[in-house]
Amino acid sequence: MLERIIIAGAGGQGSVLLGKLMALTAMDIFPHITFFPAYGAEVRGGASHCQVVMSSTEIASPCAEQADALILMNQHDAAGFVAQLAPKGLAVVNSSLCHIRQVPRGRRLVSIPASAMADQLGSPRSANIVMLGALLRHKPLFSMAAAEQTIRKLPSGAPGMLEINLRALQAGHQAAG
Amino acid sequence: MNKDNKRMLYKRPEGLTDKVMHYCAGCGHSLAHKVLAEVLDELEVREKTVGVAPVGCAVFAYHYLKCDISEAAHGRAAAVATGIKRALPDRIVFSYQGDGDLAAIGLAETVHAANRGENITVIFVNNTVYGMTGGQMAPTTLNGQHTATCPSGRDPAGMGHPLRVCELINTLEAPYYIERVALDGVGGVLRMKKALHKAFSVQIAGKGYSLVEILSPCPTYFRMTASESLKFVNREMRDCFPVRVFRDQGTPQNA
Amino acid sequence: MTGNEALAEGAIRAGCQCYFGYPITPQNELTAYMSAQMPARGRVFIQSESELAAISMVFGAAAAGARAMTTSSSPGISLMQEGLSYLAGARLPAVVVNVQRGGPGLGSIDPAQGDYFQSVKSGGHGDYHMIVLAPTSVQEMHDLTIHAFRLADCYRVPVMVLADGRIGQMMEPIRLHEGPPPPAPRKPWALTGAAGRDPNCVRSLLVGEGELEQHNYVLQDCYRHIRRKEIMYHEKCVSDCETLLVAWGTCARLARGVVDLARAKGKRVGLLQPTTLWPFPEQRLRRLAARVKNLLVVEMNCGQMLEDVQRLAEGRAPVHFKGYPGGRVPTETEILRAVMALRPPRSVPRRKTGKRK
Repeated sequence: MLERIIIAGAGGQGSVLLGKLMALTAMDIFPHITFFPAYGAEVRGGASHCQVVMSSTEIASPCAEQADALILMNQHDAAGFVAQLAPKGLAVVNSSLCHIRQVPRGRRLVSIPASAMADQLGSPRSANIVMLGALLRHKPLFSMAAAEQTIRKLPSGAPGMLEINLRALQAGHQAAG
Repeated sequence: MNKDNKRMLYKRPEGLTDKVMHYCAGCGHSLAHKVLAEVLDELEVREKTVGVAPVGCAVFAYHYLKCDISEAAHGRAAAVATGIKRALPDRIVFSYQGDGDLAAIGLAETVHAANRGENITVIFVNNTVYGMTGGQMAPTTLNGQHTATCPSGRDPAGMGHPLRVCELINTLEAPYYIERVALDGVGGVLRMKKALHKAFSVQIAGKGYSLVEILSPCPTYFRMTASESLKFVNREMRDCFPVRVFRDQGTPQNA
Repeated sequence: MTGNEALAEGAIRAGCQCYFGYPITPQNELTAYMSAQMPARGRVFIQSESELAAISMVFGAAAAGARAMTTSSSPGISLMQEGLSYLAGARLPAVVVNVQRGGPGLGSIDPAQGDYFQSVKSGGHGDYHMIVLAPTSVQEMHDLTIHAFRLADCYRVPVMVLADGRIGQMMEPIRLHEGPPPPAPRKPWALTGAAGRDPNCVRSLLVGEGELEQHNYVLQDCYRHIRRKEIMYHEKCVSDCETLLVAWGTCARLARGVVDLARAKGKRVGLLQPTTLWPFPEQRLRRLAARVKNLLVVEMNCGQMLEDVQRLAEGRAPVHFKGYPGGRVPTETEILRAVMALRPPRSVPRRKTGKRK
């Protein structure tokens, strides 16, 4: 089994954190996991994406040429990433900030207004967790319960962040139905 | 007093080997070595002392000083001393460096070890020339002084002015004790001994960084007799490099 | 854990007592990790004023008998060549890590393998060698660092872990070393103060008649011993291969995947992956070269290990090369394409000259 996931967004949108969270959660399920971040030269802002590869066999490259799942947090280079989608691949798009409306034949597209939803929940920074909920609805890499557990282990930020993140996960999961 | 009613007034310090020194006649290094060995003996720290020898005339210091010694790459003595002291904080660590080593190629290491307040003692022998390589211009060469690489005399336009190390280090917050002495006669030797005593005592007490600059004669590359070169230290060098305590107990001292 | 952090944790678990480093991308996680973890354990951490100072502090700490390490990336390692030569000359054990980036000059901050020559042929002055270890995974970043401390103490030589930005920055789950640190040999030569013994001297200046010559023979003896005992490599599918890939570090990792992809297409491909770049698995390569139809060296440079492979293949089989010098990590597909394009040599396999593409 092989799952190659690309998460792309702008710096500060939590793409890299989401990738780490997914890699950590998957550790109990897949014997081989790699996580690879790619930052721009900018310290703040700029494009930021990361890749998570989960596999039952040895992983040669942590930077996959094709993606089985794609999480697009914003518009930056979205078309380029969509072109990397493997057959039967799934793209989850944050429709608040990314206007991808279609994917090549044989690939699936799920759009949810993750940023708007996170705003409503009271923390714009939880958009990444909303996206994770949506991804898990269509691609159950691991259970929602496992995801929850990892979220609980994240270093606690502002008070109430944990609750918001847990609600964001559920909201994303339901909205993607 | 022994049974022949003879008193020991003067002897070779325990800390000095009986090797004949390779230094030129009238050179300040041999005196500085001897006094350093006396001080380590008197403070009873020789057996817990690690020295760092420079690249330069004093590279062979390990032939003469009876304590553990490391060489360092040219200029890096302060960094090597830092590594030794941090690994063995209860040992006494000194570096012994010349003007080229300390003030030219090793200036960054010198300044930063001082700025970190490393608890080491830096002995800086300033004789205004590169001795080992043949008497070239050093950062401390006096204006107008002739050397192998400024045969018409140091011209500050293009060659810069002599670098004053004690004054430079005295601008930093961390150093605890800084003094410049001159090997220009008996009085100078005694003052050097007092300064080294003080510097090592500061380190033994764990107070921090100490620097003793020794203005020292190099008759060979001053192209003078031994006694003329003492006069050169006493007049020309002291004019440019004032002899005094710059910092005591971590506090800058007035001139 | 990132590769850089795994390496740092390896050093801590290997009993590294003193760490000295200067910031440079892409190994800053390493210095940061050490800055928090070393003082917390009562060990030494200094952010030095330069790489020259860092390697000299390593020299001092090693001379005092401590396990000492510094880490940097290519431009910083260039500055450390002075200290490496002195460490080798003075026979001091130390571990130096190079998380390579693109060069020459400032190059880029992207991963590269352009420092093979500098590391393996020894970039400082004089006749010396370092043991050079090339990790291919986060686990190896950890394990080989511990091994590096063992080797350094055992042979009194500087040991380099030669990684690159890709392995440094990627994360993988790893098993941390749980046992005791490698045993520390007695160091009667260390500078600890001459109490009850004759003074020790750590030096590399040997001007007595014949002294340096003798010293160099001693070093060469030590290197011969290392060559005999410490060669490490991995292989994949070499028993029946017609094409032998030879790659190290990140490229070796990619090549492992390429072997599978090529075999799925019916091409009999194998891989020799040296873990010690010095000493190089010379005998093994000679033997394999005599058996295969083609060799393909893959590196993220313009052909550095290639020269060693050519030298050892001695014309037994043509040596091809695929290089990526721009700080870009190739994809498996790219390498696969190069493998699939290889044809058996037209003349008899015993031709004398290797072909360089």
